[in-house]
Amino acid sequence: MYTTSRKAACQHCHLAGAKPLSNSVPIQSRDRLVEALREQMTRLETARRTGDDEAVVPSGCQALDRLLPDRGFRRGTLVEWLAAGEGSGRETLALGTAREACREGGAVVLLDQAGQFYPPAAIRLGIPLEQMIVVRARGEADNAWALDQSLRCPAVAAAVAWPEKLDGHAFRRLQLAVEQGGGLGLLMRPQRARHEPSWAEVRLWIEPLSSAAPRAGRRLKIQVLRSRDRLGGGSVEVEIDHETHLVHPARPLAHPTDPRRAAGA
Amino acid sequence: MCIRLDHWPIQRTRVERPELDGKPIVLCETRRGTRRVAACSAESEALGIVVGMPFAEATALAGATEFRLETYDPSGDREALESLAVWCARFSPLVGLDDSPAPDSLLLDVTGLAHLFGGEAALAAAVVHDFARRGLAAGVAVADTPGAAWAVAHFGQNTDQENAKAACDFAATSAALRPLPVEALRLSDDVVELLHSLGIYRIGQLESLPREDLTARFGPQLLERWDEATGRRAEPIRAQPQPPELRAEWSLEHPTTRRRTIELVVEQLIGEVARMLVREGRGAVRLDCRLDCHSSQTVNLSVGLFQPTAAPRHLFELVRMQLERAWLSEPVSAVSVEAALTAPFERRQEELFADGRSWRRPRQLAGLVDRLAGRLGRASVLRARLVRDAQPELAYQYEPLVQGWPGGNTRRGLGGRALGGRALGGRGLGGRGRAKRAPGTLGPGGPLRGTPATLPPRPLRLLARPFRLAAVSIMPDGPPLQFQLEGRPERIAHTWGPERIETGWWRGRPVRRDYYRIQTTTGRRYWLFRDLAAGGWFLHGTFE
Repeated sequence: MYTTSRKAACQHCHLAGAKPLSNSVPIQSRDRLVEALREQMTRLETARRTGDDEAVVPSGCQALDRLLPDRGFRRGTLVEWLAAGEGSGRETLALGTAREACREGGAVVLLDQAGQFYPPAAIRLGIPLEQMIVVRARGEADNAWALDQSLRCPAVAAAVAWPEKLDGHAFRRLQLAVEQGGGLGLLMRPQRARHEPSWAEVRLWIEPLSSAAPRAGRRLKIQVLRSRDRLGGGSVEVEIDHETHLVHPARPLAHPTDPRRAAGA
Repeated sequence: MCIRLDHWPIQRTRVERPELDGKPIVLCETRRGTRRVAACSAESEALGIVVGMPFAEATALAGATEFRLETYDPSGDREALESLAVWCARFSPLVGLDDSPAPDSLLLDVTGLAHLFGGEAALAAAVVHDFARRGLAAGVAVADTPGAAWAVAHFGQNTDQENAKAACDFAATSAALRPLPVEALRLSDDVVELLHSLGIYRIGQLESLPREDLTARFGPQLLERWDEATGRRAEPIRAQPQPPELRAEWSLEHPTTRRRTIELVVEQLIGEVARMLVREGRGAVRLDCRLDCHSSQTVNLSVGLFQPTAAPRHLFELVRMQLERAWLSEPVSAVSVEAALTAPFERRQEELFADGRSWRRPRQLAGLVDRLAGRLGRASVLRARLVRDAQPELAYQYEPLVQGWPGGNTRRGLGGRALGGRALGGRGLGGRGRAKRAPGTLGPGGPLRGTPATLPPRPLRLLARPFRLAAVSIMPDGPPLQFQLEGRPERIAHTWGPERIETGWWRGRPVRRDYYRIQTTTGRRYWLFRDLAAGGWFLHGTFE
């Protein structure tokens, strides 16, 4: 999809009065021209994405921000959080992002179809109670409709949903909806969704890690499966503090035979 | 006619909070620095508690008996009574409140109306019956004057049926009043005291006193009230103004099942109602739409709104969403649209969105909430409220975001204000509506202001019902070491706890649990507890 849009952008540059390419241009200046075109294209693309810094929501985890091209998530996009099984800690991370998204106002809509969401825990993560709207739809169709409506609404800063199945069409609709609404769509997806097509701008894989000691925070590995048009984007190990819920890069585990440890330091 | 509502503040509390039924209730107010009992239920009176008693004394009298303490709210009581007066328009076009500072009865002008109900006794029976359906116990008396009706309703010894026949001419009114105590004349306490000190207890005794001297000796009030009661002096009932009817109807000449036609009619009617709303400066909080089918069958559509609105397009969109799902088996012959619940809109908007920070684009948000509630149902679009309760599954409550249900609060603007108003706007937990209702209780319960720091660590996902597990622990009271989940064993690497929760004994379902946060060797975190009463391990949540 991006290759086609890139071609289109080049044609636009051409129409907009950029110098046409010709074979007679020396290679060096051609490189420069390509560079200039690329820059122009980036500008056009970012302009389409409403462009300013305010449109980027920090993920609530600096280490993850560093892995993302925009240093956070762009408003008006979908973010997929994939994990295998339960108790992984990804919702803690995702709600951290929701907290950042609603910092300047706006509602956080939680589409809790399973009826297991526990509001006191979300409050502890720093999401203001008065900005939280919980929607408990019965049935897959109603839930999907409610998610679409929430994403489409400009008053919603973030919508958190747990869609089990999402086919290409439905996914694309959600992407258009969130683009229109300008919030963040945080989708908690099961492991098998990893091999399904996605319209999310960022796709993350969360894996729990065993921590060294009970005192230490909760350790997770975040892997960026895709960000914007790039496939693969590195991974980072983070630690979530028990009390503050701050996420920071994990310290490397001390080796059992670490001399300092052995000395009892 | 006079309708008496005994213990009105208590009755109102009971109707608003049905869970208090049958429990002793005490309403307290703080006067000159001391908390005093302002009203108490019959159950509390049985314990020896009386109005005016200091609160501490009441607590001592109650002893081990648990009673509910609420705040006395005279203005709320008056407002509720006013809305009840509006509702009483079904009996009489002229309804007013009695003019005491804390009114507990309604005065109705039923002159020439009784035959519509089949006589005065039947009218009285109808009133008692309809009030009972609203959960209110009413006493009724009919008399020639409002004063006499009030006196008989409050101090008459007869049943309501007989009171209904107290209606009479002047002579009979005087006769009916004669055996009643002087308090029945609605006199101020000091006049009553003075009369008592002179040995005058019954109204009949007043007749033996020289009429001219009454004013000089007891002030003007006694004679005025007495004349009003006997009918020598006219006493107008100050009528509660009826809110204008916000309703539009259309009967179709040719009944049809064509949805397009029906939609057009509904759209037009909504436009009319919206114009009326704009004229009133109000917005609809609930809109009812009724489709009368050819054979007396009706389809009722009801739309609740998060924020009062008079925008015809928005209202129509919401109604249409329901209309699409409605099943029309027969041709529709008449359509009516009514704004059943309204609220003044400028004021509410200010209150609701005074805090611009927490709600960006309030109008769009209101639109979203309306749409969601319209399709999914009111009970599916919720906001959470923290509750002071140690039992995790009861530590919060959901409330529908869209209010506006029929009840005593029609036109009071309760619909949105109590809900959206402050609670959402910025004060956080517990808006005005809550604070008014449940400021303190002797038992547990009641709202709680939640700050992230004060809350204990809890999982993001809580199972509605704890799930029994097979778990192994070495020590009988120690943490678990291993458990089975979906057939596979999970080894536990770290545990935090126990957090002992012992609660619920007053609900009759005591809970005694030792909670452990645990982390498996694969780094997953769960919330388990050991049931101390019945034994065994349970999974209650996952730290997602």
